[in-house]
Amino acid sequence: MSDFIALRHITKTFPPNVIALDDVSVSFETGEIHAVVGENGAGKSTLMKVLYGLLRADRGEIALHGRPVQFSSANDAIAAGIGMVHQEILLIPEYTVWQNVVLGAEPRTRWGALDSRRAREAVRAKIAAFGFNLDPDAPVGQISIAARQKVEILKLLYRDVSVLILDEPTAVLTPLEVPQLFEELRRLRAGGKTILFISHHLDEVLELSDRVTVLRRGRKVDTVAAGSTSKAELARMMVGRDVLFAGRPAVHAPGEVVFRAEGVSARDDKHISRLREVTLEVRAGEIVGIAGVEGNGQFELVNVIIGLIQPAAGALSVNGHDLTHASILERRRHIAFVAQDRSRMGASLSASIAENAIMTHHRLNETFARRRWRLDMQQAAAFATRVREQFAVAMSRPDQPFRALSGGNQQKVILGRELLLDRPFLLLDQPTRGLDVGSTEYVREQMLRQRDAGRAILLISSDLEELFSLADRIAVMHRGEIVADIPTAHTSLEQVGYWMLQGREPAPA
Amino acid sequence: MRQKLFAALASIGIALGMGALILLLEGRQPFEVYGALVALSLGDADKLAVTLKNAVPLVLTGLSASLAFASGPVNLGQPGQFLMGALAATLVGLSIDLPAPLMAPLLMGAALAGGALWAGVAALLRHAFNMSEFIVTLMLNSIADLFTAWLITIGGPLAEAGALSPRSPAIASGGRLGDIGAFNISIVVMALAAGAIGYVFHRTRPGYEWRMAGQNTLFARLGGCPVNRNFFIVMLLSGALAGLAGGLLVMAGPYRFIRGIGANYAWDGVMIAVVANSALGATVGYGLFFAALQTGALGMELLTAVPSEFIQVLQAVIVLVSVAGRGYLSALLDRLALRRLTRPSLDTRADTARR
Amino acid sequence: MRIAIGLLNGMLAGATPVLLAALGGAFTFYAGVFNIAMEGMLLVGAFCAALGSFFSGSWVVGVVCAIAGALGLSLLFILFAIVLKTDEFVTGIALNLFAAGATTYLLRQLFGVRGAFTDAGIQAIPRVDIPIVAQAPLVGEVFSGQNLIVYVAALAVLGCAWLIFRTPFGLRLRAAGYNAPSLESSGVRPAHVRVAALLLCGVLCGLGGAFLSLGYVRLFAEGMSAGRGWIALAAVILVNGNPWGIALITLLFGLADGMGLFAQGVGVPAQFTGMAPYIATLIALFVYARRKQGQRVGQA
Repeated sequence: MSDFIALRHITKTFPPNVIALDDVSVSFETGEIHAVVGENGAGKSTLMKVLYGLLRADRGEIALHGRPVQFSSANDAIAAGIGMVHQEILLIPEYTVWQNVVLGAEPRTRWGALDSRRAREAVRAKIAAFGFNLDPDAPVGQISIAARQKVEILKLLYRDVSVLILDEPTAVLTPLEVPQLFEELRRLRAGGKTILFISHHLDEVLELSDRVTVLRRGRKVDTVAAGSTSKAELARMMVGRDVLFAGRPAVHAPGEVVFRAEGVSARDDKHISRLREVTLEVRAGEIVGIAGVEGNGQFELVNVIIGLIQPAAGALSVNGHDLTHASILERRRHIAFVAQDRSRMGASLSASIAENAIMTHHRLNETFARRRWRLDMQQAAAFATRVREQFAVAMSRPDQPFRALSGGNQQKVILGRELLLDRPFLLLDQPTRGLDVGSTEYVREQMLRQRDAGRAILLISSDLEELFSLADRIAVMHRGEIVADIPTAHTSLEQVGYWMLQGREPAPA
Repeated sequence: MRQKLFAALASIGIALGMGALILLLEGRQPFEVYGALVALSLGDADKLAVTLKNAVPLVLTGLSASLAFASGPVNLGQPGQFLMGALAATLVGLSIDLPAPLMAPLLMGAALAGGALWAGVAALLRHAFNMSEFIVTLMLNSIADLFTAWLITIGGPLAEAGALSPRSPAIASGGRLGDIGAFNISIVVMALAAGAIGYVFHRTRPGYEWRMAGQNTLFARLGGCPVNRNFFIVMLLSGALAGLAGGLLVMAGPYRFIRGIGANYAWDGVMIAVVANSALGATVGYGLFFAALQTGALGMELLTAVPSEFIQVLQAVIVLVSVAGRGYLSALLDRLALRRLTRPSLDTRADTARR
Repeated sequence: MRIAIGLLNGMLAGATPVLLAALGGAFTFYAGVFNIAMEGMLLVGAFCAALGSFFSGSWVVGVVCAIAGALGLSLLFILFAIVLKTDEFVTGIALNLFAAGATTYLLRQLFGVRGAFTDAGIQAIPRVDIPIVAQAPLVGEVFSGQNLIVYVAALAVLGCAWLIFRTPFGLRLRAAGYNAPSLESSGVRPAHVRVAALLLCGVLCGLGGAFLSLGYVRLFAEGMSAGRGWIALAAVILVNGNPWGIALITLLFGLADGMGLFAQGVGVPAQFTGMAPYIATLIALFVYARRKQGQRVGQA
């Protein structure tokens, strides 16, 4: 087998200050499943986007069958037989399955109109040929995440690609959906397709792939055969040091109930019920984790607690203060909140660090609230410096724009701001999403320290391993309901995965 | 700060160059034309005084637009709010006669209220029914224009008896703003208003909340800021500034409401805010600059026979060049910063490539 | 009966330029471009139409010039918003200012007049009699003998609806607005789709502008677009870009316009009747907002 695709000396930088790939060379062979692994920010996705033509490398070349090629768009890559399924699924929810599949390569009638009959037939034929279980006329907005991923793959098969790039395909799946995907991928390999598989889940990588390439901080560490390596070795290559795989057992007794939600229900714009009678308690000195496939009510739960959505029924309270219909400001007297999306909800990127640091404090913190009108920007700067010192933020001056900070430092400022509010209840929505390893570790440590200091913490995370290593109890959400609420010590990844997917206990075997 | 100043000067330079090109194509002498422009707007104290007086409505409507844009509301209603402010000042000035120290503040108050009221209609519709203030303020502009035109039309309820052109009678003398030396008092009022707005916006808690909401409403809302109430207040304040512009124009100039009183300032406020990127300081600067252009334009026509409308084209070119230059310049600076960074100290770069 | 026919004719005349501009806006709306430059495109179209017709003595040249002029503004929009990635709102505002300034200046420079330019040498766009229909009583008076552009606008509704909903271009156009990264990953550059949408918008606004200066009058006046581009924008937003909805709603605006003319006939001051389309827009916005609010019970 010869090198089918060769990437040579690829270097890619992002203005203003990121070097994403540094002289990376790697080759792929026909008919293999080749995993590319690395931590967040190691450059896996960037490398694949360069190959796919979505990004242009600053230096280096791509060779296909020994001939150098330069893809200037995804179209070029697809024409050459290379297709990519992105980490965030890129489909149009308003369109049906077949419309999504043919978009960009539509069959036409003699008059130049869209030949929807022919398009539908072609899609139906591909679905049958690869044994996918999909309805071509279903609107994509109404099918499951796993089904959407299949549509993405189908889109590429419709274009007759021979290489499929999958960017963290299992990240959006529950543990139970993963084996099915792997089976389909093996079937595709048997059909002669080459599969490039990006992941940071080492068990999956070892199970599925033939060869593994490890990236670390934009550089290639090595390419090894999956059969001749181990999880520990891969982890060492990824992180550059030995890593311990161990959870952190909770050894303490939680105190009084701090946060309580009772029978909380909520509907969306279209009157569709999104939260159904959610009842939940979080005690002082306890971390409760919310697990669930994305879109099963976690978003609505957070929004109801923080006050962006009014509940249709039920009651919320913190330490006995009824917050069901309170204003957001009133809630913030009791709740510290780290939002999922830093740039959309957690900060203003164009404001200075100091201006970001004093949000909420400007009304509730003694230092600022003493004066009725004036806001002392020197005090704000001093406060930002305090956040920097207490939370190890790497920044030069408080009047720097917030966007100049790295993602990890931005999150530290936000976390610091919220923790300095000194509230009994912490609502943390995906607090480590998109952070590098160091910052993730830091945020997790802070959570445990807050727990030990007697705060009640509600942690929403799509990373099950994170929940299992931090939470004392895990509540599983399914279709807007809490279908399980169980001490972490009494459950397993598989069981939680089953609840997430099915909404009920696995039937006894 | 210095970069921004440099960018602004560069854009103006390029725009003037393009204007010169247009003049050359028409067989004129650009230096002569620009020279006349400067000489007749800034040449001596009297001309400077005229320029500053002409700057009053430009700076105030510019601040009205900048304050709104930087705080969130898309208030494009300066033309209408300007007219309603001018109308309110005229109405009060026609019906009451007090000594000047009482009368002038009273008329200014009326102008502020008139503008705020008209903006308040849009704010209320937004608040109660979630109607986009962007289109509502535009429609209210046309309605205010037609309504005031009807009031002063010959034979209309507010028309001056026997006048040959559409205009109201003159306001009581107490409401007329005189000069200090060569300089009209309305210039002082403008400076005070600009200072007050700048202080509130940059040094107070409400100003902080407005700025944060203007940059990211959801962030401000989750941080506990009463964004809906702030929206309302900013709309009223923005309308009041535009109204004050209209009132001062009546009080400093013709002392009456005449047809087309706001026509020259219709979109100038929004234009200045756009060029200034909604920064208050820059708004004042560009307001003065455009006032100099417009003041010099009339003299330029007399001296060089270049139609004064040339200035409108020049202004539009300045807007386009500086707006486009802003995006280009920041990309350029990013690239330069990267080049400095690519060599040493690669430790921090890991954090990174998720895009 | 005479009144009804007059009203209908007034409605069609009032609706046509707004309809054309709004159809142009529909393309950019679906493509996900926040295009508020229709006002300026109409104005430049009207100016260039008068200019072309005056210098050539032919309305055909006038219409071609109108389209070329509005396309020029489209190209500027493309240069700023798509190539240089300037904010779309700011670009639109700047282009509207540019259109107002440039037409005022050129009016003075080329024709030496302020305010308005009219001349017997300007040839208007002709009316078209439709055989057979013209003979029918009543029906003939409304459906035949209208200005050519009125029929073009009616056909444009059909054409736009076909293009948006029945062709591969339409599928891509809507995809660009719904989810541009998705379209990109399907191998189609959203920027190309947006460029096409803006060019189509230019053509349609050019036609609308030509109707303003060469339709029922033969003159160009400063600011003669008079907010029609903004009303068109409101129409687009109100019906989410749907061409049929746009046709319906702009006819309603036209009706308000026509009723204004009628009211003027019975002694209502012209300034008040002139407010009709703006007030109609506010009412339409209100109805739209209420409907949306009704869907959102139980939410903050």
